Amino acid sequence: MAKKYGMIHDNNLCIGCQACSVACRSENKIPESVYRLQVWVNGPTEYPNGTLGYEYHRQSCVQCENTPCVSVCPTKASHVNEEGIVLVDVDLCVGCLYCIAACPYQARYVHPVTKAPDKCTFCHESRLSRGEEPACVTVCPTDALVFGDLNDPKSKINQVRSERVTYRQKEKLGTSPKMFIVPNHKGGINS
Amino acid sequence: MTQMLSRRSFLKLSSAAAAVASLSSIPGTLGALEESQKQLKGNAKYTPSICEMCTSACTIEAKVEEGKGVFIKGNPADKSRGGKICARGSSGFNQLYDPQRLVKPIMRVGERGEGKWKVVSWDEAYTFIANKLEEIKQKHGAHTVAFTARSGWNKTWFHNLAQAYGSHNLFGHEATCPLAYDMAMDDIFENGISRDFGKAKYIINMGHNVFEGIVISYARQYMDMLAHGGKVVTLEPRFSAMAAKSTEWHAIKPGHDIAFVLAFINVLINENLYNKKFVEKYCEGFEELKASVAEYTPEKMATECDIPADTIKRLAREFAKAAPKAIFDFGHRCGFTPQELELRRAMMMCNVLVGAVEQEGGYYLNKGAGFYNKFLGEGDAKAPGLKKPKIPAYPKIAVPRIDRIGEKDNEFFLAGKGAGIVTLIPKATLEDLPGVPYRLHGWFIARNNPVMTQSNMETVIKAIKAMDLVVVFDIQVSDTAWYADIVLPDTTYLERDEEFTASGSKNPGYGVGRQKVVEPVGESRPGWRVAKELGEKMGLGDYFPYKDIEDYRLQQVGDNVELLAKLKATGSASFGVPLLLQDKKSVAEFVKKYPSAASKVNEEGTINFPEKIRLFSHKLEEVSKKGALSYEPYKYKEADELYFVNGKSAVRTNGHNGNNLWLNNLCDDAGVWIHPKTAERLGIKQGDKVEVYNKYSTQKGKANVTKGVREDTIFAYFGFGHVSKELKRAYGKGVNSNALYASFVSPNSGMNLHVVGVKVRKA
Ligand code: SF4
Ligand code: SF4
Ligand code: SF4
Repeated sequence: MAKKYGMIHDNNLCIGCQACSVACRSENKIPESVYRLQVWVNGPTEYPNGTLGYEYHRQSCVQCENTPCVSVCPTKASHVNEEGIVLVDVDLCVGCLYCIAACPYQARYVHPVTKAPDKCTFCHESRLSRGEEPACVTVCPTDALVFGDLNDPKSKINQVRSERVTYRQKEKLGTSPKMFIVPNHKGGINS
Repeated sequence: MTQMLSRRSFLKLSSAAAAVASLSSIPGTLGALEESQKQLKGNAKYTPSICEMCTSACTIEAKVEEGKGVFIKGNPADKSRGGKICARGSSGFNQLYDPQRLVKPIMRVGERGEGKWKVVSWDEAYTFIANKLEEIKQKHGAHTVAFTARSGWNKTWFHNLAQAYGSHNLFGHEATCPLAYDMAMDDIFENGISRDFGKAKYIINMGHNVFEGIVISYARQYMDMLAHGGKVVTLEPRFSAMAAKSTEWHAIKPGHDIAFVLAFINVLINENLYNKKFVEKYCEGFEELKASVAEYTPEKMATECDIPADTIKRLAREFAKAAPKAIFDFGHRCGFTPQELELRRAMMMCNVLVGAVEQEGGYYLNKGAGFYNKFLGEGDAKAPGLKKPKIPAYPKIAVPRIDRIGEKDNEFFLAGKGAGIVTLIPKATLEDLPGVPYRLHGWFIARNNPVMTQSNMETVIKAIKAMDLVVVFDIQVSDTAWYADIVLPDTTYLERDEEFTASGSKNPGYGVGRQKVVEPVGESRPGWRVAKELGEKMGLGDYFPYKDIEDYRLQQVGDNVELLAKLKATGSASFGVPLLLQDKKSVAEFVKKYPSAASKVNEEGTINFPEKIRLFSHKLEEVSKKGALSYEPYKYKEADELYFVNGKSAVRTNGHNGNNLWLNNLCDDAGVWIHPKTAERLGIKQGDKVEVYNKYSTQKGKANVTKGVREDTIFAYFGFGHVSKELKRAYGKGVNSNALYASFVSPNSGMNLHVVGVKVRKA
């Protein structure tokens, strides 16, 4: 069966250290003014029950299965490859930027050099082809990121998904992201 | 938002930073030489090495990709770190290319701190320094020049140079960071100790923020123990990432940790929660300890530390119940107090009292080659020790060091001579210290940034200005270099080989040290070369009996080529099997491998501690009446002031990587934490520009109004608000916490004081 790559970001394990975002910058030679990935640390935030906590929001492409960005693309520059990864073919891109507007996750940016939209590709170009995991996953100090083939029942990602409760961002939109989030079950501590 | 910027401000900020970065007003920087465009010559395969973005010295692998970037990752052979790395580590190659990086020696031409420089050749630089050092030697004596270098960085080389020249005033950075707990270990265990966080069931953590001041192996172990149902109780005046992951958080009053620990010990003893058998068999001084904490009841100390007496009692009971899989973490940085040494000793004694030492999930003694070999009988393989090249005897010095270490009955006797009390340097320059018949006239500083990292910046700068010679060896014009006479360009860690290292964990370990990934950029030179060449210029060549670093390493391993090959290929090696003296299983396995160690095993199947564990220190009693534990109240602030405390940020640490492009872009002003009630009283709103001020300094920052800090406390991350105008990205941004602290040298430990009174107003 074809591969279907996905990722888990575990909010319990994430410490907001930005190792992932910096490794992504390094691996993918991301120019200074833009980024494919950041982890936004919100907190200390107060929960309704009066306790405190931190929330870690991974801001990157969530690799939708129903891709608004691809549907609006007039030239097929934005496409999904056979491994389920959403990619941009720079040569086909005419720069209309519809995909940037269509992405409900604000995951795309205009690459200052190619002038074409760019975003997280699960490091498809470099690392996956060499059989390595995405750069962000390889550095994460606390193993908050888990990557793998959702079509492989024995993969680590499926194992972890069966053990931990996950949700996806903006599930209501029906985009079916392949980025799964483990919510912060701590729910904070009395201040 | 604490650390991260929103997308918009990130864009705005980084374009501004990029614009600044392309300017190069200073000669001798990489930007001025346009060398940054060149292809990098280096190793296209992963080379194992050690990170140098903070002091944790994590194991890494790095390679050059297509002559352009360097990709850095964790060394997968290192199980304790799981091949992982933090944001600082991943940003390492930014240093290499940084146009603001210094790559030629520069000499001051204006006033100190005026920022006027000229480029000089290495030979001119050596001649200048050699002449100046000779002049000081003639006028005041070589001992009046202090040499500061960080361990595992440049200590080996520059301390050698110092002693060859005739100075015994050698220092590391320790007194601004780990010295007190290093001393406490020596005092109690006669040995270094570590914590087996991963296997613990219960940890008490006082401000040791392993998730922000990241030590990767600790962070992983903590996550592991939490995942297995372990409990962590964090006591800290503000709600850190550590506190957020913990099971409980208690906002203890700044500077009053010791009050809590004394009451905790009082409960352990009075409620008979301690391990009598362990204490009787392995400890001395229990009766003295019992007497000394008798008055520190939870009820009495509760009002001091602001933790309810019932909570103190409950935590002590839970801790004792979890023993021996219990850790009272002796901490790392937290609000340094005048009782730093007593505090760390008290923390360690909690573990001793419940017998959680040399057991899984507790403390363990660091077992280097020497320690380990004690347990190996004749004929069994001995752990290899690293040798040192034979260096001629150094000149004898008749006068004491400024910290008087080495003298009988000296208050700092527990500090190693290579650590010294670096915080005394400003004092020893500006005042006559008792028993020290001279003042300092020179300071040679290798990769240390005291202007930024010592308390009370103003005094440090004043001292530097009073000196005849200040040499700084660094990769950039640091805040200290900004005030120097001459700045020598160091290589970054990716451009140099270093000596091999030996360490002790549950068994002896060896490290390759740093290995070259790319050729040095510009005219930067590694420490071993600079010390040797400068030494030769000064006629001290005999003290450097090695051709180069490769030769030095060969001499270190002797004929053990096997070790040499292993270290180079994998980055690290360990010897034998792990040993935990109080763990029957571990002891049995050790004896199986080394049968002659059987004679050490006692009737319980464990091995006795080699030294008595000291719950009372006769030596400390002798030098300063501090053998027992005691609580000495200290007035940190006036009634109308707030406490000010600092802590580590995950992306920026210490005095030296704040100007790193990527890291600075991620976080350039971490904000000033203020409790909502305090903010309201002062008319301050989220994001307001505020001034934090006291008699020492006025610092500007952005208000972060949050319940994550006590009402009576202001918190800021340290490593911000740089003063060197050559650190163009980091200059002047955020609160420089060390500027606000008092110039204070704690008795017996020499540590800085990191709690002070401040006021806050809208800027
Ligand atoms: S590296 Fe891991 S822990 Fe750090 S911010 Fe990224 S996901 Fe979170
Ligand atoms: S997150 Fe945005 S860019 Fe990524 S697949 Fe979904 S719509 Fe496309
Ligand atoms: S998968 Fe690759 S491209 Fe995507 S965020 Fe991680 S490192 Fe960046």
